[in-house]
Amino acid sequence: MSATKIYYNLKGDRSIWLIVMLLSLFSLLIVYSTSGSQVYKYNTSHGTEYYLIRQLLFIGTGLLLTYTAYRLHYMVYAKLAPILMIIAVPLLIYTAFFGTELNDASRWIRIPFLDLSFQTSDFARIALILFIARSLAMKQEYIKSFKEAFVPLILPVAGICALIAPSNLSTSLLLFVTAFTMIFIGRISLKYVFLLLVLGILIFAAIYYGGQYFPEHFRAEVWAKRIHEFWYSDGQYQIVQSKIAVAEGGWFGLGPGNSIQRNLLPYAYADFIYAIICEEYGFFGGMVILGLYLWLLIRTVGLVTRCSKTFGAMLALGLTLNIVITAFANIAVSVQLVPATGLTLPMISMGGTSFLFTCISLGIILSVSRYVEQAYEEKKQLENLEANAESNH
Amino acid sequence: MKGLANRRFSVYYFIILTSVVLIARVAYLQLVSLKYKEQAQRVILERQLDYPSRGLIFDRNGKTLVYNKPIYVIYATYRKIDPKMDTTLFCNLLGIDKSTFIHNLNKDWSNPQFHKSLPFVFLSKVNPDQFAVFKEHMYKFPGFTAVERNIRGYPHHHGGHVLGYLGEVDQAIIDKSDGVYIPGDYIGKTGLEIAYEKELSGIKGIHYILRDNLGRRIGPYENGKLDSMAIPGEDIKISIDLDLQAYADSLMMNKKGGLVAIEPSTGEILAMVSAPTYDPNLLILDENRNVGMTKLLRDTINRPLNNRAVTNRFPPGSIIKPIISLIALQKGVTWINRPMNCFGGFRLSATKKMGCHGHAPIHNVAEAIQHSCNTYYLQITKDFLDQYGSKYPGIGLDTLVSYFHDFGLGSKLGMDFSYEGQGFIPDSKYYDRVYKREKSGWKSMWVLSIGIGQGEMQLTTVQMANLAATIANRGYYITPHFIKQYISGKHIPDQYTQKHKMRIDSKYFSPVIDGMEAVVLAGTARIAYVPGLDICGKTGTSQNPHGDDHSVFFGFAPKNNPKIAVAVFIENAGWGGDWAAPISSLLIEKYLNKSISPTRKYLEEKMMKGLLNVTSEKIVPHSAQKQDSVQLTQ
Repeated sequence: MSATKIYYNLKGDRSIWLIVMLLSLFSLLIVYSTSGSQVYKYNTSHGTEYYLIRQLLFIGTGLLLTYTAYRLHYMVYAKLAPILMIIAVPLLIYTAFFGTELNDASRWIRIPFLDLSFQTSDFARIALILFIARSLAMKQEYIKSFKEAFVPLILPVAGICALIAPSNLSTSLLLFVTAFTMIFIGRISLKYVFLLLVLGILIFAAIYYGGQYFPEHFRAEVWAKRIHEFWYSDGQYQIVQSKIAVAEGGWFGLGPGNSIQRNLLPYAYADFIYAIICEEYGFFGGMVILGLYLWLLIRTVGLVTRCSKTFGAMLALGLTLNIVITAFANIAVSVQLVPATGLTLPMISMGGTSFLFTCISLGIILSVSRYVEQAYEEKKQLENLEANAESNH
Repeated sequence: MKGLANRRFSVYYFIILTSVVLIARVAYLQLVSLKYKEQAQRVILERQLDYPSRGLIFDRNGKTLVYNKPIYVIYATYRKIDPKMDTTLFCNLLGIDKSTFIHNLNKDWSNPQFHKSLPFVFLSKVNPDQFAVFKEHMYKFPGFTAVERNIRGYPHHHGGHVLGYLGEVDQAIIDKSDGVYIPGDYIGKTGLEIAYEKELSGIKGIHYILRDNLGRRIGPYENGKLDSMAIPGEDIKISIDLDLQAYADSLMMNKKGGLVAIEPSTGEILAMVSAPTYDPNLLILDENRNVGMTKLLRDTINRPLNNRAVTNRFPPGSIIKPIISLIALQKGVTWINRPMNCFGGFRLSATKKMGCHGHAPIHNVAEAIQHSCNTYYLQITKDFLDQYGSKYPGIGLDTLVSYFHDFGLGSKLGMDFSYEGQGFIPDSKYYDRVYKREKSGWKSMWVLSIGIGQGEMQLTTVQMANLAATIANRGYYITPHFIKQYISGKHIPDQYTQKHKMRIDSKYFSPVIDGMEAVVLAGTARIAYVPGLDICGKTGTSQNPHGDDHSVFFGFAPKNNPKIAVAVFIENAGWGGDWAAPISSLLIEKYLNKSISPTRKYLEEKMMKGLLNVTSEKIVPHSAQKQDSVQLTQ
């Protein structure tokens, strides 16, 4: 199958495909630009090309995953959702107790044979969104009793978020916001929406304050420190460096590969990559990235209005919301609108499992768009046929 | 459904609002605010380290053993250097040549480690005299600055092995240290410098300084909130007596071996020599360090950096006999007045006989020690091993080994010192492995050499000295140690004040000590007799399959209320009475009487002059090595 053939056979929303490509391209440029400081920091024997090739491989694998996820009919994911949930829960528990500690948080498990750390919360994130979309579709029309709302919706959201929160509060919060928004939009009685909100606030409050009594299992000290720094100072070292990077960019930036702050900013290739984008590509570059995420959201919203199936609509919306909210949160950290967290910029930050899972998410969204288009065209054809039949009549 | 559509739109509005806020914030930072643009002009945050002074070391009488002296590190800032500077004068002042100057100045500028606007190390280890001359001319060379660092200095030439030396820290330690050490730091490498590294090194102070993009100093970062002062290392007083150490060093000149002297009542080490020793000044971290280090490392015959007092292990020879006596008496295998006729040797088999010295019949344990009777000790060792039946020598041996462990043999004593050796005590498992081909197991007769300190058994010199201290104390020891006092008043660890009690009745000590006294009065160590000092001891001649026998002595004095316990081990020196015993007696005399009596001056001279070690090890014919069972032990 040649590339052109793939292109002509490529259905689904062309704009979303383009967004995926553009984000991948930006990712390659920025990651390569910041790789010099990594080579220095880790004192590795391989040169900066190593990081370029590594990122290229990640993008290649990611696009392959996107394509695979896109090829599957999205209703397959409805069947997969409960299985994924059943896998996700023990994985999260395993990670919490036996996970590898990287950067002082137990969020990863090692994948045997491959030299990769696997952040289980990324997996759980997709599983939960799939599951909620499925539940919302199945409990069509009004969910009337508490039992109907509690078991398929409120319990999974609260459970997964509570499992992720101790080691990775920010991911858990964003996932909660995503799930909450899905349920809010998903034709559920306001009573239960508020129940979920109250429950969510209680859980996060319990983990935040409870963590101060079990500092070895929770990162309460880190949270408290970061929130304190956010409110009462100009930010810790990396935030100041990040803001300097943004300020250095000006309108048009210093140009690709000319960043200075990459040498001073820790995690310039992951958590603070947006600051480097602003520095190298200026205000316009930063706006293009922000615009790409917004464009993705607008395309999905268009999709959702045309989608006849609740599952597809909810699935696409949930996955997109999660990507966009994560991106916004990452950007907000870079410019000190919220306290520092360990979030990556989806599709742009240096490869890792979160990059691959974002690719899968986009593949699923594209799968939905493919069938929405197909259904739309069939409907059009049907209308044409009817119109023809009527005129012939 | 209108209400539900509204819900969806409220979400969209919220997202649009969020993105507007984000864009506004980015635009504010990037296009409007000048604050961070200005900060960008001074992004360079310099972390300046203040090195604490390393703790000083004093001897037990308060004499300085180790002090700090300055050395200078010259830094260069490439961009500030005047291209027209007088390089000839510069090189002459610092005593370097042109190629060194060029090499040190032109760094790899593509490496982010170096920056043309930031100072880097141009020359380390400039001595104070040279620096004083250079400093007068320093104003002519902009871009060069100097920082003072401390290295060790010694006002004497003794105790190199005790004090240890410093060196640059290894990468492995830096990685593990969690930021405490950085490349180029000095760290204790051996001896007390490494054992007390944590206490001596102190804590570095840190100053954060903001510099602008041209490397100009702007001021402290966040008004110095994060800065900290350097905390100097702790000064310590150690148990070494410098005068005695100096005397011990001179007694051990031209020999290979170890010497340890302990104060029995406290476990404090008064002197410790590993011969050949070296002058600690040889390994000072100044410009001549490499010369000294190379000289010591090149001497592969004498291996002066080995520690023969604490690390290396040797067969103890006959000095184990008093210990065997005590254990056997305690277990009831023998009794104080057990007589024995020697008949000039102990018959191991029909054809083999372990020889003994010509002496009168033995009437009690004291006489057995006095005459170092091999027959007596082989017999009681056999009795001991077979006490649970001759089929089970393993149980008897392990009982003996458990008593040896009490005496601190076969494992580390737990001194406050680096690279402490364990020695070696064979147990039943060891012999099971050695004799695994024997179907009916091994017999007590095959391993009797333990009873006379030969065979597989090996001790470190400090373990031997500790045995002497244990007998001197009539049944207990305190772990030998160097720490006497922290000048700050901090308590020394409990492990150096606790008594380790032996499972041996105190009544068994007096006959053994009587025997040890008789060794000096009328036995194998008469040369060690000093009137009025009541020295008690035991000689040993430990067989060495590679060359001449080793000369060993351990003992203490005075007999009542002992003040000093000594063990001396001289490699390839022959009989215990020839070298180790006189050296020990001279050391004891020096410590107790502060001087050597004129009648013994000849002995002192002979010991100091004795040229023993300098030749290489003798090559012994293979057949000679085989004749193991017919040699004498004394």
